[in-house]
Amino acid sequence: MSTGVTTLEAIASFAPERKVPIEDLVDRLGLRRTKLRLFQRVHGLKEIRFDPELSLFDVVLPAARRVLADEDTASRVRHVLYAHTTQAVTPAHIDPAREIRDRLGLHRAEAFGLSQQNCASGMAAVDVAGELLRAEGGPGDCALVVTGEQAFSPKIQLIEDVAIMGDAGAACLVTLDGAGDAVRSYATRTLGEFSAAMLLDEERALRFSKVYAPELAAVMRQAVAEAGLGFADIDLIVPHNVNLQSWRQTISELGIPREQVFLENVERFSHCFASDVFLNHTTLREAGRLVPGLHYLFATVGLGATFAAMVITHGASVTAQGAQRDAGREAA
Amino acid sequence: MENTAVVESVETALTEVLEREVSGLTPDVRLFEDLHLDSTSVMEMLMSLEDSMDVAIDPETLDMDDFMTVGTLTAYLQRLLGEGK
Repeated sequence: MSTGVTTLEAIASFAPERKVPIEDLVDRLGLRRTKLRLFQRVHGLKEIRFDPELSLFDVVLPAARRVLADEDTASRVRHVLYAHTTQAVTPAHIDPAREIRDRLGLHRAEAFGLSQQNCASGMAAVDVAGELLRAEGGPGDCALVVTGEQAFSPKIQLIEDVAIMGDAGAACLVTLDGAGDAVRSYATRTLGEFSAAMLLDEERALRFSKVYAPELAAVMRQAVAEAGLGFADIDLIVPHNVNLQSWRQTISELGIPREQVFLENVERFSHCFASDVFLNHTTLREAGRLVPGLHYLFATVGLGATFAAMVITHGASVTAQGAQRDAGREAA
Repeated sequence: MENTAVVESVETALTEVLEREVSGLTPDVRLFEDLHLDSTSVMEMLMSLEDSMDVAIDPETLDMDDFMTVGTLTAYLQRLLGEGK
């Protein structure tokens, strides 16, 4: 059993080009006037990426292809983990994880899905990937975590009063001790009393709204503490894009400056199933806002309800070979 | 605006948000405990009041203490109306 550090060697994301303003979804989602205003003015949503003309795999595969750009990388992949939120994203005779593996030509890898933590499944898959590599991986082996779903029905596009889901996909290449972002800690807490997820009765829904910010704040504090850090050491929080109001409450609970949370993608993409933190990481990296050696905190919540947070250190390779590759990537 | 008119606007907004008739509110009625609002339905009520009372609400500066009772809510709305003058 290895003691290697879980490292995010590469992260990429994809969103359909088709932009749909929130107001165009009123009929599809059955939103009355004040609900639309709530999403726009209070929750801070403007538009989503949403293209029913694309297939599931059109959304999922582009990011994965980007992180597997060279043959050497593809040959190192031992596991493919498809983290999704909706249980049945394909007809029963199609196993989406195997389909993704086969379409990517990763025939040596085992493939499986991971979905029970809903929008926290992406981060959970990174943790599982690290554990698998520590348990049975060889030097240089990696695991590919992919996310990506479509809001194919109004029933899964609208989380009443909370979120409007958009389409996006992401891929995260996980290895041990190589080049990339080192995972310093991962904290997670599942509260099973909310397992009815989108079908919570009124009393439990009210209770969930009350515990949401304190529980998320507690998990975020735990992740920061387990990384041996304080919030002042976190350069930026990379959140899920559920809505601004939930973040106002969580920021208030944490007592941190609002500028410490990257919220610019809420109005651009809204909440994209299990992909948000990877999508936001991509945006920040492409804008040159991730600084090598600094610490970042992923934070998300999955219905059901799982609260999860992970501290990463950008470009913090723990091997000389990894450091060289990091230097090359930053220069590029 | 007269306080009775503000209360009437609140009743209309709550009728829309709660999808049931709300009337006869008095200042001591509690929004959360008595009317069973939650933080989201309070926000939705404010969106309705923005239109009917021609006030502008800033989601960034809301203080939940203003939404404890019908009395604190009407005082908050009167302050907004004052700022608009």
